[in-house]
Amino acid sequence: MEEITQKQTNQYLIPAAIVIAGAFVAGALYLSNAGTATRSVTNTGDAQPVAQAPEPTGSTNEVRQVTSEDHIKGNPDATIKIVEYSDFECPFCKQFHDTMNEIIGSDGNDDVAWVFRQFPLEQLHPVKAQAVAVASECAAEQGGNDAFWKFTDGYFDVTLTNNRTDIETIIPQLVRETGLDQSAFQTCFESGKYDDHIEADIANAVETGGRGTPWSILVAPNGKTFPINGAQPAQAVQQLIEIARNEK
Amino acid sequence: MFSVIGQVFSNVKYIVLAISIATIVFTFAVWLPNFQLIGLVISSSTASVIEKINFLLSLYGSIGTNFTVISAWYTIMIAVLFGIQIALLTYYIRKVRGGMQGITKAGAVSVTGLISGVFGIGCAACGTFILTSLLALFGATGVLAFLPFGGEEFGILGVLLLLYSIFLLLKKINSPLVCEIA
Repeated sequence: MEEITQKQTNQYLIPAAIVIAGAFVAGALYLSNAGTATRSVTNTGDAQPVAQAPEPTGSTNEVRQVTSEDHIKGNPDATIKIVEYSDFECPFCKQFHDTMNEIIGSDGNDDVAWVFRQFPLEQLHPVKAQAVAVASECAAEQGGNDAFWKFTDGYFDVTLTNNRTDIETIIPQLVRETGLDQSAFQTCFESGKYDDHIEADIANAVETGGRGTPWSILVAPNGKTFPINGAQPAQAVQQLIEIARNEK
Repeated sequence: MFSVIGQVFSNVKYIVLAISIATIVFTFAVWLPNFQLIGLVISSSTASVIEKINFLLSLYGSIGTNFTVISAWYTIMIAVLFGIQIALLTYYIRKVRGGMQGITKAGAVSVTGLISGVFGIGCAACGTFILTSLLALFGATGVLAFLPFGGEEFGILGVLLLLYSIFLLLKKINSPLVCEIA
């Protein structure tokens, strides 16, 4: 009798295992889709970033308004904006940085602006990601938008990623190459004045549903938002831009 | 062993089945980080069907941009091995035994391998993959820092488990039909 029971149990093993696998896959889908875009946002304005505790709503509509305070590459008055939350030590951010440079440099994308926001992942890239984020803000303070992008492009060109970059050599080198005042830069870098600003960016990334980097939100002309998770290829981003152009 | 594989895949139906399953698993892996975006695009009333199809196809390119070399390797391997495994399983059930008796171990190992592989899908370094999401639920993302490959171990484990389950299945298919003494 025991043997019969054992055989019957064995017969249910595969279906049970498949059900468990299905539950895991369903869980994966649920976890990867937390939060949906349901309402429009205005993508211009003058609101200043304010550090606050993140509300884990996970809605891309919570993306903070793009202002002149943001770091923007491309047409600042573009009708389509891609807001990227990035980590300087993330290898996929390095990959996506090249992708976005390709997108912004492409003919016919004059209606697209790339907005760079900070999302250093302290748990994965302790100290260094935050330090480079601060450095990029100090570069922007001294040299404006051009200096920010020169510093940022330069850093992503040379970073070894995953906390392997020798930032004590690379940051001063980039400061020199960007033509910044080294003493003033150092004062800014050590002041901690941009900590709140970076915290505000992180908080907004989390509010919009970002759980890793690169995390981007494409804002269409009518304010509809599209989440882009990870370093998607240029073809996919370009195709999404084409789709967003219809959203008027 | 190899003769068994040849025997099974001499029938084109099993090749089609293996390729179909592998395609489904691979598609799931590369689309997973952007299911929400895919849903928005598919349900868009302003995008044309061609635009929607082009977008979905373009996402396959993420295997080269959104995965490490190791995770791209094991993602492809898991898809291919799971396709082969399902084809062998179907062959065994239909042709050899007419049921699932005797293959529960191989099936269970295979499903465990797939689950382990699913854990390894995504961007391990940047926290956009499933393991991170699960750990985040328990506030334990710091655990990743203690894993030498940042969670990619699960994908490699998945490949090994699938290989083992295929080995078990091939052995079963190859074994003669006898009444074993318990």
